[in-house]
Amino acid sequence: MITDPQGINPVAGGFVDPRALMSIRHLEMRAKVVVEGFWNGLHRSPYHGFSVEFTEYRQYTPGDDPRYLDWGLYGRSDRYYIRKFEDETNLRCQLVVDRSKSMTFGSGSITKDRYASTLAATLAYFLHSQGDAVGLLTFDERVREYLPPRHKLSHLRQLMLALEKPAEGKATSLTDPLDHLVELVNRRGMFVYISDFLAPIERLEASLLALTAGRHEVAVVQILDPSELSLNFGAASLFEDIESGKTLYIEPAAARKAYLPKIAAHNTAVRRTCEKLGVGYVQLTTDQPLENVLFNFVKQRQRRGRANTVSRNPGRA
Amino acid sequence: MSFLTPFFLFGALAIAAPLIYHLIKRTTRDRTIFSSLMFLLPSPPRLSRKNKLEDLLLLLLRCLAVGLLAFGFGRPFFRNTAVVEPTTGQTKRIVVLVDRSASMRRAGVWTEATNRALAQVRAASPADQVAVYGFSNQAAALVSFEEWRNTPASGRTDKVAAALGGTGPDWGNTRLGTALITAAEALADATKDEPAAAIRQIVLISDLQSGAEISNLQSFDWPKGVQLKIESIKARNVTNAGLQLLVEAPDAAANSATAAVRVRITNAADSGKDNFQVGWTRPGSEAFVGKPVDQYVPAGQARVVTVPVPEGQADLQQITLKGDDEPFDNTVYAVPPEKQRVKVAYVGSELPNATTQPLYFFQNFLKGSETPRLAFDLTVRAPGAVAAEDVQPAKVVFATELPAGAVASELRSEMQAGKTVVFAPRSAAAAAGLATLLGVASVPLTDVNVGVPAGTRATAGSGYAMFGDIDFRHPLFVEFADPLYSDFTKITVFKYRRLNLDSIPGARAVARFDQGDPALVEVPVGSGRLLLLLTTWSREDSNLAVITSKFLPLLSNMLDLAGAIPDQIMQYTVNDPIPAALVAAPTEAVTVTPPDGPAETVAAGTTSFTRTRQPGIYKLAAGARTARVSVNLDVAETRTSPMPMDLLERYGAPGEAKQVDAGREARREALLQSNEAEGRQKLWRWFIGATLVVLLVETAIAGWTARRNAATVSTGGTTP
Repeated sequence: MITDPQGINPVAGGFVDPRALMSIRHLEMRAKVVVEGFWNGLHRSPYHGFSVEFTEYRQYTPGDDPRYLDWGLYGRSDRYYIRKFEDETNLRCQLVVDRSKSMTFGSGSITKDRYASTLAATLAYFLHSQGDAVGLLTFDERVREYLPPRHKLSHLRQLMLALEKPAEGKATSLTDPLDHLVELVNRRGMFVYISDFLAPIERLEASLLALTAGRHEVAVVQILDPSELSLNFGAASLFEDIESGKTLYIEPAAARKAYLPKIAAHNTAVRRTCEKLGVGYVQLTTDQPLENVLFNFVKQRQRRGRANTVSRNPGRA
Repeated sequence: MSFLTPFFLFGALAIAAPLIYHLIKRTTRDRTIFSSLMFLLPSPPRLSRKNKLEDLLLLLLRCLAVGLLAFGFGRPFFRNTAVVEPTTGQTKRIVVLVDRSASMRRAGVWTEATNRALAQVRAASPADQVAVYGFSNQAAALVSFEEWRNTPASGRTDKVAAALGGTGPDWGNTRLGTALITAAEALADATKDEPAAAIRQIVLISDLQSGAEISNLQSFDWPKGVQLKIESIKARNVTNAGLQLLVEAPDAAANSATAAVRVRITNAADSGKDNFQVGWTRPGSEAFVGKPVDQYVPAGQARVVTVPVPEGQADLQQITLKGDDEPFDNTVYAVPPEKQRVKVAYVGSELPNATTQPLYFFQNFLKGSETPRLAFDLTVRAPGAVAAEDVQPAKVVFATELPAGAVASELRSEMQAGKTVVFAPRSAAAAAGLATLLGVASVPLTDVNVGVPAGTRATAGSGYAMFGDIDFRHPLFVEFADPLYSDFTKITVFKYRRLNLDSIPGARAVARFDQGDPALVEVPVGSGRLLLLLTTWSREDSNLAVITSKFLPLLSNMLDLAGAIPDQIMQYTVNDPIPAALVAAPTEAVTVTPPDGPAETVAAGTTSFTRTRQPGIYKLAAGARTARVSVNLDVAETRTSPMPMDLLERYGAPGEAKQVDAGREARREALLQSNEAEGRQKLWRWFIGATLVVLLVETAIAGWTARRNAATVSTGGTTP
């Protein structure tokens, strides 16, 4: 079940079944399918006319740099508009994706990593199609790859390639990437933090606080496998930690009693940390359609964007 | 059912393994990959309750497989025949054989031997029968089986200790072979009425020196079941050199004994020293008289040294070696040889210088036979002048003419007492006294002329006679028995005396002429004899005297047969008999004075003194005649290096490797029978085969169960 702070149940509707989606091999294609499905769904939805940050146009006045004239718009409207403030208003979104080995776990056909990659790709594709700049930071026990936010098709391809690399990290450090980003990014932007958060979270609050203190907009997406929430395994067996290789003899029926409260407490701790810092938190399981995430994301952005638009650009076209 | 290797049955305990496996419900083979174990606690292994044993059929099959395998390896067989069970509680017969030879005189060796013997006695159970024998030249019981039996069990050790304490090593050499044979025979005698399985053991306690005599073991057939246990004693000191007196040959050209004596120094193979001093010493004193000889002798080698007699010290009798650790074999006793004179009487009327007559040749023969230690005193008498005093002291009487009357009777009685008379009648007439000598009515002799000597004028006939039929088994001719020397055809006889053998009772023709007439006749008279040569060695009668290759040995053999040439042994070893004849006639008693003891008397008629128990100078006296004899240690006794451990075994003794323990023998027998029965039945094959079948069934059932479980899991949908 989605733990949606907005209380919306996005499962309803004709979204793409994750299993069918994941059968598409090409990551960019998967992202495209989700985004287009999302757009289609949006046409049927009551939520019209919103976007992350609509491009702003200003009527041409003599003296303006003709390089910024929007000729396409001129062709459609026979008026001169200049994209003069495009740079200032565009969103800079940094996707932070956990590529540790624990993400490769999947009790069914979909692993968390594949789900997370698709999600990240979907967001990137969506934002890129909106004209926003998208960057990527992958990490496991340390930062693996960093692509700063840019709005270029080639950059998007590069981003997709980075997401398609196999996850190999032996451990997870939840705070290192955030600390790294605090140092790297000094312009305001948005951070979407995608991880299973199955790691110690003692320092998570401090790292998130450093980001929010920089007036960055942060969203946390926790991706879990359904079996991680229920421990619904059958016979007793040796459980092997996918990252460390350690083994424990576990009888699920007996271990479940102790496990479920612990995992619930952990997830609650993550959610509370986010709430405390005003960070958006979404918990997803790999059996949920990705469009829901996009829907929630856009909705969250719309709310925040309206507020921003009102406060910052009262005279926006 | 019995088992050849029953200890493999312990393998059946491995049945516990499948039992525990089935009790523990822990499928450690399955692995589940999980994202993080940080919220998981290990589950303890769960034991099923007994009444919840799972897969009972599989458990039974697995237990069965383990059990069958253990049974198979146990090599089962059915005992068809009664196997001989090891005999227990048997009494033992033990002969403890303690070496008492001279080499046991080395430091600490005898004490160790006594301790070992007592340890053997103490180890014996009261029911065991033990005898203790000591041996050097021969073995003798110190405590016999009977004495052991008659002694209370508590006093047996003391009895053996007393017997061993009352004796000690003597001066004899080590006749180990003889001792072992004596012990084995004693065991065999003592146990002949006992069951064959009784344990019979010889415990040999000895220094096992390489000089021990064991060659007679080769031909000895060891009694079955006798085992030989060897307790070898190591000497504290290994450096030992010994002395051996070298005597000159009896016919050596010069009598060197008065000037110097040669000794051989033998150094043991394991000696640590090689520089020695040899010199003359006096009894009871260690100091050398005169200058000793320094000699270097490497270990394992021998050197011959000439020890000169110091000037003016001709009475010295012992030579001592210094420089080694063990003194027991360091002294030899040397007595300067005395010249023996043998009296020979000759009765004949020839002139001594008549070069063709028998006396001339006989004189020359005697002169040529003399040696530095042997001389002949020849008394020549004409038949008419001979007196009883002339023939009485003579060892042998040669005659070409016989005396008559009282002297003939005297000669006859001398012959009856053992004397030998050689009579070669010059003519038939010269034999007038023969009948008296032989004690018969008459001995008819006739002269036969068959030819004349070459170069002389022919008087009668023209041929010659030869020795034809010769008894080469007779002592006179035994030396000629070899075909190389048996040709007597060179001897030609022109005149001889014909004798009718029937006229002399008991006469035997040792040789005959080719005409068939007797040539040499032996007539026993009492304990003596008459040798009647029916021709002479005068040139007129035959050419015998010039055929020296036959003449000299023949006369020499006659002297030997008569006992006229005495043994010329210059030194004796311990336990050798000393012939009384050295000083006395057979009818006289001899007084012998050993080196350390009181004089002993050897009764008349006894040929030798046998109690030469220690080395030293023995003095013999009979009337006015005396002799000194040196008795030395057997040189073999100085070879003290240990013999190879397997030597006894190679000589056929039941060595330690072959020791036959009767109980062990019975067990071995039983084992052999079991082996045979098991090998015939080969039941293990069936058990192994059954194991394989059970394992196959188990594998099939386990596989089927696993597949069924897998199918249940996959359809059960437990995996999200």
